Amino acid sequence: MPRRSESPVPSSSRPRGLPLSESALRAAFGVESRKSGKARDPSIASNSTFRSHFGSETDYGDDHAHGALSQTRTSTLYGRRPVEGSMARRWIRWMGGMGLKDWVIPLSIAGALWSRWSVGMGGYSGRGDSPTFGDYEAQRHWMEITLHLPIRQWYFYDLPYWGLDYPPLTAYVSWVCGYVGSTINPDWFMLSTSRGVENPESKSYLRFTVIVLDLLIYIPAVVFFCRRWWKSRSHRTQAIAVLMLLFQPSLILIDHGHFQYNSVMLGLTLWSINLFHMGYDVLGAIVFVLSMGFKQMALYYAPAIFGYLFGKCLYLRDSRGITLFASLAAAGISTVLLLFAPFLQTPFPETILQPIARIFPFARGLFEDKVANFWCASNVLVKWREQEWARGLLPIMALCATLGGILPSTLHILTVSWSSSSERNGEKQSASSQIQSSPESSARRLIPSSIPSPAIALLPYALFNSSLAFFMFSFQVHEKSILLPLLPLTLLASAREDVSVSDARTWEWGLLFNNVATFSMWPLLQRDGQQLQYILLIAFWNYLLGYNPVSMPKSFIKGFSLVVYGIITMLHIGECFVPPPSRYPDLYAVLNVLLCAPVFGVCWLWGMRRQVEVGWAISSLGAPRHKDERSFPARTRTTSGLAPVELREEREISISGLVLRRRQ
Amino acid sequence: MSSTTSPLRVERRGSSLNPAFPTKSTFRWLSPGERDALVLSTFIKVLLFPAYRSTDFEVHRNWLAITYSLPMSKWYFDVSLDYPPFFAYFEFLLSLPARIIDRRIVQLSNLNYDSMSVVVYQRSTVILTELVLGAALLRFVRGSVDQSTARVIAVSLFLHPGFLIVDHIHFQYNGFMFGILLWSVLMAREGRHLASGVLFAILLNFKHIYVYLAPAYFVYLLRVFCLSSTGAFLPAHFISLANSVVAVFVTSFGPFILMKNDTGHIGQIFRRLFPFTRGLNHAYWAPNFWALVTALDRVLLKCTYHVRWKGLKVELRVEGVVSTSRGLVGDTVFAVLPNIEPVHTFVLTLLCQGVFLAKLWTTPTYKSFLAALTLCGWSSFMFGWHVHEKAILLVLVPLSLVAAESSAHMRTFMIASVAGIFSLFPLLFTPSESIAKVLYSLIWGSVVFVLISKRVYEFPEGLLAAVLDRVEKAYLMGFTLLQLFVSLYPTIGSRSSPRETLVSVAPQFLGMGSGACSVPFGIFTQPELDMLGDCTPPSPPSPPSSSVETRKGGEMEFLPLMVTSVYCAVGLVWAFLRLSYLYLSHSRKPLVA
Repeated sequence: MPRRSESPVPSSSRPRGLPLSESALRAAFGVESRKSGKARDPSIASNSTFRSHFGSETDYGDDHAHGALSQTRTSTLYGRRPVEGSMARRWIRWMGGMGLKDWVIPLSIAGALWSRWSVGMGGYSGRGDSPTFGDYEAQRHWMEITLHLPIRQWYFYDLPYWGLDYPPLTAYVSWVCGYVGSTINPDWFMLSTSRGVENPESKSYLRFTVIVLDLLIYIPAVVFFCRRWWKSRSHRTQAIAVLMLLFQPSLILIDHGHFQYNSVMLGLTLWSINLFHMGYDVLGAIVFVLSMGFKQMALYYAPAIFGYLFGKCLYLRDSRGITLFASLAAAGISTVLLLFAPFLQTPFPETILQPIARIFPFARGLFEDKVANFWCASNVLVKWREQEWARGLLPIMALCATLGGILPSTLHILTVSWSSSSERNGEKQSASSQIQSSPESSARRLIPSSIPSPAIALLPYALFNSSLAFFMFSFQVHEKSILLPLLPLTLLASAREDVSVSDARTWEWGLLFNNVATFSMWPLLQRDGQQLQYILLIAFWNYLLGYNPVSMPKSFIKGFSLVVYGIITMLHIGECFVPPPSRYPDLYAVLNVLLCAPVFGVCWLWGMRRQVEVGWAISSLGAPRHKDERSFPARTRTTSGLAPVELREEREISISGLVLRRRQ
Repeated sequence: MSSTTSPLRVERRGSSLNPAFPTKSTFRWLSPGERDALVLSTFIKVLLFPAYRSTDFEVHRNWLAITYSLPMSKWYFDVSLDYPPFFAYFEFLLSLPARIIDRRIVQLSNLNYDSMSVVVYQRSTVILTELVLGAALLRFVRGSVDQSTARVIAVSLFLHPGFLIVDHIHFQYNGFMFGILLWSVLMAREGRHLASGVLFAILLNFKHIYVYLAPAYFVYLLRVFCLSSTGAFLPAHFISLANSVVAVFVTSFGPFILMKNDTGHIGQIFRRLFPFTRGLNHAYWAPNFWALVTALDRVLLKCTYHVRWKGLKVELRVEGVVSTSRGLVGDTVFAVLPNIEPVHTFVLTLLCQGVFLAKLWTTPTYKSFLAALTLCGWSSFMFGWHVHEKAILLVLVPLSLVAAESSAHMRTFMIASVAGIFSLFPLLFTPSESIAKVLYSLIWGSVVFVLISKRVYEFPEGLLAAVLDRVEKAYLMGFTLLQLFVSLYPTIGSRSSPRETLVSVAPQFLGMGSGACSVPFGIFTQPELDMLGDCTPPSPPSPPSSSVETRKGGEMEFLPLMVTSVYCAVGLVWAFLRLSYLYLSHSRKPLVA
């Protein structure tokens, strides 16, 4: 993996303008910007004044004193410190000032746990809704059946009443939860007599299991990710990233409100990303298989993970690539086998086929509930399920559309892996002409597979694109599946990138996507009695992050966000005061779908574009570089950057003048 | 009533007297940090809307209904209203919007109404009226010399677990009341004594429990406002103060006095406000001096049993023994120790307060006033008749204001807060709220204590101080074990029940069994049931074993509460002694400037 320190060009003479935005570069490395901050030349330092105005958030001065930079910052701000942009940043700064820097992460975790628990005081899926209940009862019921039945009956027992339809790892975890719970009170999990048990104690216990699993898997994964992936960023940025991920409303509402164990699946996937980033590909692959083994929905990620891992094999090229491929395949297959091993019982084929048939319910139709994907949204125009011609074709159409959606991003990550590999080889050949680069390239040859391939920077984008493509086009999608594309995008957005004036705007897109995704689950949350928590968590999270679409600089995303939020607000207000006409009782749910599906589509297009851009950055960085700066046209800070910044500066002056006058 | 205008006049004069505390700054708009605190607290409190509600919730809803639908003359003759008139007016005001939001909220017959609308409405009124506390705290911060410490204290009060537990989960309006109290204290700080006195009088007419603090106010205002610095009496000041206070009370009680249709209206109000017919201890013993005495009685009773075993005779009151076996329900009657009458507690409280008030008389500064105020409330809490555990807020809130004075104050504050907040835990017994309260208090405590102790920490000097330091730390650590015991006890109890049924044939053996079962749990090694088996001869014939069992179950059920109460009482008594020592030993020079 090309690191800046290893690159043949000394960092002080790093070209000012690269063909791509700086954030893309940083994303491409997943690393390393502090170094460049230290050695920044004055011309860039003067640009940094724009940055500090721009988002009023500058990371460079956080932990190390950078003479030139901090001077320019204070001087251009008329002797005042910049207004801290968000509650999270202010709080972390305050904690630092109080000498409690080390407490920030533990306190964030404790706060996140407390919020999760308090959200759990609200309603849940199917509360008191006898006799069918909801997801809560499903999870409890699985604990009951795994506890009392032999393994071979797990996937057969009374299927109409919440028969087990998740992969085996869920069943094993349910067994553990049921076992522990029945030592506290066996009545909660008595076979068949416990159906619909929802007293306060059992509810607390079940909520507690979600929190404990969260604390064991998801939260450490998040903290580790922020520490590792944003290693080059300041502690403050890392802490904000932790806060942003831990207080993400959608996941809290679904797992701790609605009641599910998505954070286990997401946490395992996140651990596999972390492991890939550390270079432990085989281990990462095993963890990812476990993630799929917990919830089949993680398949949405599979193309991207496959793309990265196979790309890594291509990147390594020679025999090591083949070895890696073989070990990955062996590890993956053996993990799957291990997961299913207990089901290898008599009667042989049925016991193993039944779980698979339960996990992939193709018989259940294109979609069940209202879900903001292509099929459900276009269903308003074309009644897919009523078309004679489409009846048998629908699964195939869905398959083709999904493939069409996921192939570009998967192929792209493969291509980038391959091409960065060829560039490296080209570099190796030209190494004889560049003296200082020769030891590095030889060193690179010596560390074969223990560092991630450059395509690791693409991985979150690929995960986002492939899971969103699945969500949009595949068969039998649930509205909760939007959590899958949410995770990688939130990961990317977690370190706010407006340190550089880029047109990436990952942060803005990430927040827009998060808010709209949470909104898309509104009908579900409404049924669960989580309205209050929905409003609160969204409001708090956005405030915590200092998100204000109105004050964003002019760009496409700003206009788009404002329009989307305007419609959302209108829909919410409308739902409160105007009952839907009796002819269309689901009017608001349909409008919800009609709003969210296009937004997700646009986000998907943006994600594809970003992936391609970051791919370019990786390719261009991998290429042998020349010292000649002329070859890099200085055009980065153009499109969205300069004009608004200047305007903002003028406004800043007038505002501070006003403040001064008032103080006198 | 000319005196009603006087507060304004004197306020103006007060502000000109003391330019050190500019009043303008109070009305500056919120800074980002203050806004953050407000958002955070609102987030936390609104998140608790669906949490458990005690019967107080229904009581308050009922008051909304009473004040809305009944004529004023009947307010205090309905069953439940036992707050002074201002609170009744306050409820009346709240009932007006409630009528618009949901008509059923204010229907008298609509008992135990708990739809979403009433929950959201009542809980929101708590949050909104608590903004009075927020405003007072803002004023407190902006007028402080050391703003950053003051900010910590202000945020700690605004997010105090006590308020969270009592107001936002259990349901009461303490945040609002303490806002008025704090505002009054701030007026005293700014030298606007008349305003301070008037605000306190208003507060008394909202909730009469603040009468615990009244002696400190009386002495302080008399000394500072009605006497000049040389000791000369200022009749004009005295009259204006007396007039304003009387005016407040007239506004409050006047309408009821004027009502002719009922004789003894005022008497009825006072009977509702001061019910002396209740027992020494509340159902759950408030962690005060009497909890320790009651516990001592229980222990002595048990010792007596052992002594009698060896042939000695000790006088026992049978009703006392029966009372103990009833656990914590009903009146407390001692079995061994002499019984306590209301007058005893009254005298003891006044004596104790008198000491502090004498000190306040000699050093009438603001800091001294704060400490005396705290100690006054604390004395009442320690020795009062039928004290409620929620009254600990009367101690914790003013104590917070002096927490950052010195390391010793900080330590006192820490012990009192931990013990006081822990003693509020039994108010919430449902499983999910239990976890929420413990986790929240832990977060709050770790942040607040670390922040304040970072500012004032001193290494303990001398052997005695070092030993005390260790003992106090051990005591604080003990709360972990206590919490473990309290939360694990129900499961242990349910486990051991079959064995007890087995041996329940003979009461003695039952006693032995229960003793063995509870040996690890400190001084309450044996509930007094064994005594029942042993000294019943004079009392009614020995009860059938089934009733013994139920009583025993009840007794054992109360054991965690007893242990909690006693353990917290130890800490609170110790912290009380600490603060008294700190206050009284500060000769001449006032408590840190």
